[in-house]
Amino acid sequence: MVVNMKFSSFLKNKVIQISLFLFSIITIEIFLLAYPYGKFIRIYIPLIILSSYFIAIFIEYLIKRKYYKYIYTLLEGLKEKYLITEIIKNPNFIEGKILNEIMEQVNKSMIENVNKYKYLQEDYKEYIEMWIHEIKIPIATSKMIIENNKNEITKSIDEELDKVENYIEQALYYARSSTVEKDYYIKKCNIKDIVNEVIRKNKAILIGKKIAIKMHNLNIMVNTDSKWIIFILNQIILNSIKYRKTNEKNEIEIYASKGKENIILYIKDNGIGIKQGEIVRVFEKGFTGTNGRILNKKSTGIGLYLCRKLCDKLGVAIELESIQNEGTEVRLIFPNSSYTSCI
Amino acid sequence: MQKILIVEDDEKLREEMKIFFNNNGYEAEALKKFNNTIQDIISANSDLVLLDINLPGVDGEYVCKEVRKKSNVPIIIVTSRDNEIDELLSINYGADHYITKPFNIQILLAKIGSLLRRSNMENTQYTINAREFIINLSNSTILKDNKEIELTKNEIKILKYLNEKRNKIVSRGEIMDYLWESESFIDDNTLTVNITRLRNKLEKLNLKDLLETKRGQGYILK
Repeated sequence: MVVNMKFSSFLKNKVIQISLFLFSIITIEIFLLAYPYGKFIRIYIPLIILSSYFIAIFIEYLIKRKYYKYIYTLLEGLKEKYLITEIIKNPNFIEGKILNEIMEQVNKSMIENVNKYKYLQEDYKEYIEMWIHEIKIPIATSKMIIENNKNEITKSIDEELDKVENYIEQALYYARSSTVEKDYYIKKCNIKDIVNEVIRKNKAILIGKKIAIKMHNLNIMVNTDSKWIIFILNQIILNSIKYRKTNEKNEIEIYASKGKENIILYIKDNGIGIKQGEIVRVFEKGFTGTNGRILNKKSTGIGLYLCRKLCDKLGVAIELESIQNEGTEVRLIFPNSSYTSCI
Repeated sequence: MQKILIVEDDEKLREEMKIFFNNNGYEAEALKKFNNTIQDIISANSDLVLLDINLPGVDGEYVCKEVRKKSNVPIIIVTSRDNEIDELLSINYGADHYITKPFNIQILLAKIGSLLRRSNMENTQYTINAREFIINLSNSTILKDNKEIELTKNEIKILKYLNEKRNKIVSRGEIMDYLWESESFIDDNTLTVNITRLRNKLEKLNLKDLLETKRGQGYILK
């Protein structure tokens, strides 16, 4: 909120000073009246004192008003308001100097406090990354044991392990998505390789549930972090699998188109779709909706939320369109700017 | 038989990998101590090395770099670190491939296969002798008594796979699994069509009875 420094309020602040001053002027005037001075002196002396006093007050008012206005303009121009202490000029009056000094101290302590939490979070993220790194070893071992002892039971355990793996991935990317640091790496990659990897990853369930995959126009290069996109795409495909129609031929269509400004990757399924009113909320954290609740799909409301968060970090737009009982289409829109193409 | 050296500090994982590779036509060996890893890898004289990047006491990346200085053996790095930068670095250290834990073992097997083929080109098989006929992978044809018939990409893959599993029943799921692994994501109907066409083509070479359908179980190449 901007407090406007009006002259009247400035004067109000000086009410004691002014009344004392007026009191002394009146006293002087009484003394002057008691002695036989000329009219000129009786009027001139109090008037000269009075006017110099008010001119001085007015000048002070102008200086202060100018300075606080200057601070407000600075503030308005700053996105991170706390940076003001870095650029502010020191005024030539004492209250301003005190104010600056206080702001600096408050700021310093605030930054220290924020940093404390930043390090705590960074530390936690590192722990999560390490933990994930560790837990992957027993999973890899379990998968090898299953591979060496293939039967119906181990196959079923394998399917459960795949779920565990996905939850672990989610935790990893959740940790990655909530740090300020950039920990992705942009390089040129082929959309086709990314899509193939995701489809292969879900091969067992896609073949098992007889879900047809239709892919075309995917041989396009984009500049992005392929690991992140693989994770995002995997969440989308997992949703298509989870929310498919039973007793019907399921199909997932994946294709891309290259425009002047962007490359769009489309993932289209013929699943149960999303209720009209709920579409806008699907990217919200923890939103499960009718599909998650009524159909007992064990929805966590994390998958798409993470997709959106990671996309934001990567500079990729994600859009979703759906018609209930007809299907869902998700679009990933990669920018095709000259900036990214020269990396 | 080609030898694979497993450099992995998790004992259980190492042993299971050994069993797996031994079951899949390789001779697998594993390092058990890691105090002289670089020298051990070189003196093992294997055809391929699977190298875990997180070894106790030594830096896997350093090992990779040092081995590469003295040997051209194909190296696949196995790691549970999963990001683009680690992958790029490991390629810089001279690794041929990079695979993350928990790995898809079929993908690993395919990578090993392609690396080994590349490293001894003389062993590359472009033609497969399947007793009654010859499969020629380079121009996607089958040949019998000087009669040549062209097959599509999927048909030749199916035939090659059935031939590898000769005299065994192969389920439709297994065939699809194999095709998807090589990035032909066909659906159930397409598989039926492909099998029918393949059978028709075999018929032209008088090999009609070779490919049999086992109702409810799959197919068999006799």
